[in-house]
Amino acid sequence: MATAAQRRIKSVSYAKYGYMFILPFFVVYFIFSFWPLIQTFILAFSENGTRTPGIIGLDNFKTILAKPAESDFKAMGIHESFWNGMKNTLIIWFGNFIPQIALSLLLAVWFTDLRVKMPGKGFFKVVMYMPNIITAASVAGLFLSLFGDSSYSVINTLLRSGQEPWKIITSCWPSRILVMFIQVWMWFGNTMIMLMSGIQGINESLFEAAEIDGANSTQTFWRITFPLLKTIMVYTLLTSMIGGLQMFDIPYMLHTGNVVNDYIKTVAVFIYEMFHGNFAKPSFGYSGAASVILFVITSILGALVFYVQRDKDAIEKKKKQKQAAKEWKRKQKGGGFSI
Amino acid sequence: MNKLKKSLALIATLAIASTAFYACGDSSSTADTSSSTPDSSSSEEASEESSEESSEESSEESSEATASAENKVAETGDKLSLLCWTGDDVEKMIENFTDANPDYAGKVEYVNVGSSGGEAREQYANYFAGDEDVDLFVLEADWILDYINNDEYTAPLADLGFTEADFDGCYDYTVSIGTDKNGVLKAASWQSTPGGYVYRTDLAEEYLGAKTPDEMQEFVKDWDTFTATAKKLQDDGHKIAMADTLGGMWQVWQYNRSNAWLDADNKLIVDDYCKTYADLAKEYYENGYVTKEDQWSDGWYAIGQDDSTMGYFFCTWCLGKGSMLSNAEGGEGGKTFGKYNITAGPSGWAWGGSWLALSPKCDNGQIAHDFINYFTVDASTAKDYALFKSEFVNNPTAMKEIVDEGSNKNDLLGGQDQFSVLYESAANIDMDGKITAFDSQIKDAFNTAVTKYAKGDIASYDDMITEFKKEAAKIEGITVE
Repeated sequence: MATAAQRRIKSVSYAKYGYMFILPFFVVYFIFSFWPLIQTFILAFSENGTRTPGIIGLDNFKTILAKPAESDFKAMGIHESFWNGMKNTLIIWFGNFIPQIALSLLLAVWFTDLRVKMPGKGFFKVVMYMPNIITAASVAGLFLSLFGDSSYSVINTLLRSGQEPWKIITSCWPSRILVMFIQVWMWFGNTMIMLMSGIQGINESLFEAAEIDGANSTQTFWRITFPLLKTIMVYTLLTSMIGGLQMFDIPYMLHTGNVVNDYIKTVAVFIYEMFHGNFAKPSFGYSGAASVILFVITSILGALVFYVQRDKDAIEKKKKQKQAAKEWKRKQKGGGFSI
Repeated sequence: MNKLKKSLALIATLAIASTAFYACGDSSSTADTSSSTPDSSSSEEASEESSEESSEESSEESSEATASAENKVAETGDKLSLLCWTGDDVEKMIENFTDANPDYAGKVEYVNVGSSGGEAREQYANYFAGDEDVDLFVLEADWILDYINNDEYTAPLADLGFTEADFDGCYDYTVSIGTDKNGVLKAASWQSTPGGYVYRTDLAEEYLGAKTPDEMQEFVKDWDTFTATAKKLQDDGHKIAMADTLGGMWQVWQYNRSNAWLDADNKLIVDDYCKTYADLAKEYYENGYVTKEDQWSDGWYAIGQDDSTMGYFFCTWCLGKGSMLSNAEGGEGGKTFGKYNITAGPSGWAWGGSWLALSPKCDNGQIAHDFINYFTVDASTAKDYALFKSEFVNNPTAMKEIVDEGSNKNDLLGGQDQFSVLYESAANIDMDGKITAFDSQIKDAFNTAVTKYAKGDIASYDDMITEFKKEAAKIEGITVE
């Protein structure tokens, strides 16, 4: 028989301390993240051209999504620049993600391979991660002076001296490819480190066993590394996708003068310009609506990735377990009051 | 022991959390999409409050006041805070002002708000709403109308004891732009901004045989002649443009347009003049009569030093110390330092201008009054400043004296007096009714479209106008048909 004191000790819960410790985070989160999030949704249904907008319903979504009449310049302008932004975002994201993941994977495998004894691994890792440390503004400035339209940019001085300068920044595909390149260059180090940690998380004995069995590097990669790296890959894909859809800094800053280049204008730039470009009469409604559309697209794509990459065995197992449980229950019922 | 640990951990967590609060609170004033609405609504409330307060104050004081020409703004602050996005002018003004008024030394402060007019507008809103000291601030022609027509942002200059007669000595157009739609004078400009064509003297002599500004003027006296000269240079095998950039050319053309961008109902006006200019721009761009650099880029200045362009379209505020011309010459001791002269150019024009406006929050009435008085009303001090900064001040009498004395020698122009060239065109400036609150955005949209058209990215003029209209239509508050 337990004493009263013992009973009390048993029921002592430390949970309240846990809640206390996480409370500050949630308070900050609710004020500075959650409320603005809700606010964005409200703004999506609000009017434009004022700093204290009222609700107008679905008009913003209609303007952005449905093709307006050719003569309605305003709706046309907003509709087209949103879809132009969407197109650019997707093009630039694909063009940056695929080379980036390929390069990162290759380097990650090399750096973690037991057989490759590369000297100065740490040095290379640091150097490859370095571009990510530089602020986007500096990167944009650097690439503007390297590849700028001006005949005084590095590339035009070296390769086009005395001739018509190349206009890389204001031309369609060259500017997009440049942005893709910058994104790859900035982020491949980061992805590489992530994949490396994923590879290092794989049990080393598997690689040793493969080696003993006489598997070559290609076989090891496709049969062991790649399948076991799937979870990390999905994570990388997801974070890159969310980040990619919100790509803003480089496309926004890679221009001279006042006007952002149309060919690399992303949805995030569109959102920013709508509420920020016109100081006296900001278009919060269109910005909000575009943000919500982007949010929905991101959610759908995220869900899709999860669906495709779901662990089918685990689901099968769970199903069987459930069935077994049901069967057992039925039996119990059917058995009546057996002891 | 355990308790101690727990409470320590709790304190640490709270400390970290409170720093998070601090940081977020701070950054939320620079506002992102979602948080800017509650912010701005609160800011409006705040400014309403402040304006109510100030109106209460002023009504109290006005009951005591007898004459209208009395300074109603109290002198309670320590320092006059002058807000601007660039120190180019303001720092020089403060230097000149405090030199002349040693009593005010250290009492006038330049507060930097961003690096461009656009940024400044955003920060102004925060300054107006917050507790910061705001006494005077600078407005630009491109967006001044938004401010002077809003009583929450600007107070009448009459509050400082100015009467309209005080500004009789200024150029009329600066006064009418500074007057709001109800006829109340809200802002005063210290400058007038006529422009001309600034050209390379050495190249003009070598290529064209023009030895003096007057001889050069013959080669650029109107646009047909200007084009012919550009063609002649190309035909002679010189790889040199006549005009600096398309952006620079448009400044000249825009001023000479008979319509403003918007009519009385804020409807966009696209006229034949736009087509004339667009076609000229294309011709210039394709034939190398204008360089392919962007205005406001590094290349814009670089062309001034390597014989890529014969000259620039510059106005008064481009010609002082540390200004655009100075950059184009590579600074003092630069490759082309002092190798420029100015001439009137193909057409008279003016570019922008800045106005001093009084904040309803002003708490340094006396210094504010004296400061505005010094640069705009008082002809003799304005003249001082004109010579100090090489600025074309907003006072024809002062400028006339300088021109007659010949006391201004601009080193950047090889000792030439730019005022004597620009004095006449200043008298003809009429920008009243030609500026709108949306000019900077519309101008950007138009220039982008024209550049694409000139470059060949847009095939026809009609397509260009459609693109321009779509871009302009995105600006909330204007209608496009």
